[in-house]
Amino acid sequence: MKRYDLIVVGAGPSGLSAAIEAAKRGLRTVVFDENEKPGGQLFKQIHKFFGSREHRAKIRGYVIGQQLLEEADSLGVEVRLNATVIGLYQDKEVVVKLADEVVHCKGDAIIIATGAAENMVTFEGWTLPGVIGAGAAQTMMNLHGIKPGQRVLMLGSGNVGLVVSFQLLQCGCEVVALVDAAPKIGGYGVHAAKIARTGVPFYLSHTIVRAEGDDCVTGVTIAKVDEHFQFIPGTEKKFEVDTICLAVGLSPMSQLLKMAGCKMEDNPRRGGQVPICDAYGRTSLAGVFVAGDVSGIEEASSAMIEGRMAGIAACEYLGFMEKEELAAQLASQERALDGLRQGMFAPQNRGRAVAETEEGIAVSASLLRHGYISDDEIERFPGITHRAGVHPVMECTQNIPCNPCQDACPKGCISIGANITSLPVVVESAECMNCGMCVASCSGQAIFLVEEDCGDDTATVTLPYEFLPLPAAGTKGDALGRSGQRVCEAEVVGVRSAKAFDKTNLLTIKVPKEYAMKARFFRSMHN
Amino acid sequence: MSNVIDRSREIGPYIPAPDDDRIICRCEEVTQGEIRRAVHEGMWTMTEIRRYLRTGMGLCQGQTCGKLVKGIVARELGVPMAALEPATSRVPMRPIEMRVFANEAKEGGEHE
Repeated sequence: MKRYDLIVVGAGPSGLSAAIEAAKRGLRTVVFDENEKPGGQLFKQIHKFFGSREHRAKIRGYVIGQQLLEEADSLGVEVRLNATVIGLYQDKEVVVKLADEVVHCKGDAIIIATGAAENMVTFEGWTLPGVIGAGAAQTMMNLHGIKPGQRVLMLGSGNVGLVVSFQLLQCGCEVVALVDAAPKIGGYGVHAAKIARTGVPFYLSHTIVRAEGDDCVTGVTIAKVDEHFQFIPGTEKKFEVDTICLAVGLSPMSQLLKMAGCKMEDNPRRGGQVPICDAYGRTSLAGVFVAGDVSGIEEASSAMIEGRMAGIAACEYLGFMEKEELAAQLASQERALDGLRQGMFAPQNRGRAVAETEEGIAVSASLLRHGYISDDEIERFPGITHRAGVHPVMECTQNIPCNPCQDACPKGCISIGANITSLPVVVESAECMNCGMCVASCSGQAIFLVEEDCGDDTATVTLPYEFLPLPAAGTKGDALGRSGQRVCEAEVVGVRSAKAFDKTNLLTIKVPKEYAMKARFFRSMHN
Repeated sequence: MSNVIDRSREIGPYIPAPDDDRIICRCEEVTQGEIRRAVHEGMWTMTEIRRYLRTGMGLCQGQTCGKLVKGIVARELGVPMAALEPATSRVPMRPIEMRVFANEAKEGGEHE
């Protein structure tokens, strides 16, 4: 039987991070993953991540995946792919299916980082081909280069539903509606806003009545629900679609832990059946650790830190590290994790209605209900100021742990301060030089550079643009407002694509000056 | 918990619902009505339901329907979902062909 110091199950963000920490300290480490490609969900994440520099903010998910793999590789971590762990027995014996053989291995410590699986909801016709999970849509688009459908309805307004909707738009699908039974949008407002401004309507307090079609999905009917989630008759709406995408939450894939005999609990706040564990992933079984979504649904950024903590804890367990060092190492990881678990969307605030920002500003009701900040709400946020010349307008209105914009501006025009969840404010004394770094740095695509009066009754708005084909300068079309409705005519007067922008293109459009604070997206006439 | 396994508790009769023909476990083609009826026939734990109906024993191993079945059983019993113990986890954790399952690697043998 093959022996290792540490066996990690799952080569996603947490599993790889755990293996890296272990290998750094000399543990003989192997990572098994059932997929043909490593990285878990990271390689499907083409958007820029939130957080601060230590959380790899503003780096796209798939790049973080590459970085982790390289690091693991350089440290000599053995990553075995197409390696399905089929059982975890007594004395940390791991049984793996490798090619057409069953292999037994033993680890002195085990870290389970198997992640989560998508939840489903049922409705009439839910088994028709064309009803897919949002994760499946991402896999098709971002791993295999396949367009999931032409016309798509998305159910679920959490970050997964929002991020995948945007990716569907990027891949050329039409997203006919974003639907959620909840009365308000569950994910980040900035993710919702970048979809809403392209014209996708949001239907909150709505859910799917039925999928239409005989052999495959040809349409979908939604209806409004009351506060008890019962359909309100007469509110049905029908859409012609070929794809229905479900993004209704995740459940931890914790079966291996249950089999191994870890104490488990059913904890709805953590997504379902999870092992009982401490902050460093130590389960009730000595030497068996957990990290990432399998111990409670969060996101990739926190999964990576949890992985590092479990890796470090495993080192100490095996005697590769002194107790004192363990405390010091874990403390720095805990600080990083605390930084992420702040703000309106922090785990402790889940399900809580937040009426005001930390600054005491009323949150945008329209953003929660419709996906965009209404014109009469926008002015109250500190990122929105007016002055002569080009200046940044930051439509960042929720306290989320993210601060790349403050470092992005070489002139110091943007300040968030020490509290990572604070809303960005404009530094009045600093002079914007129109470099565009802030626009490209914002993972939420919420920063615009606006010149409100160019002197000829026009204004220019520079906006982040991540769609192809990229309109050329001189292209005429429509400016869309935050709601996705046409507000005026517009002409592209500048297109910037720099390496430093990391694939976020900057489109500068010219609009009549009264629309300077309204025009937030561009649609060329040919679309 | 004790409430769930207290089989003397009265849960009322099975009342057919219009959507009882909806398939819940796709792999084994088990409907909502079959699951609801099974509860009234005395299957009160997830393990019993699984053995009785084969829910979650197909290709996806309950990855899709596990939570759905649990929700239906909990509703029928009038208990919170979290109060129901999930079915036992067993090897093989993922579907595997018998020829592979029976093919133990010789690599190194016991002497390594």
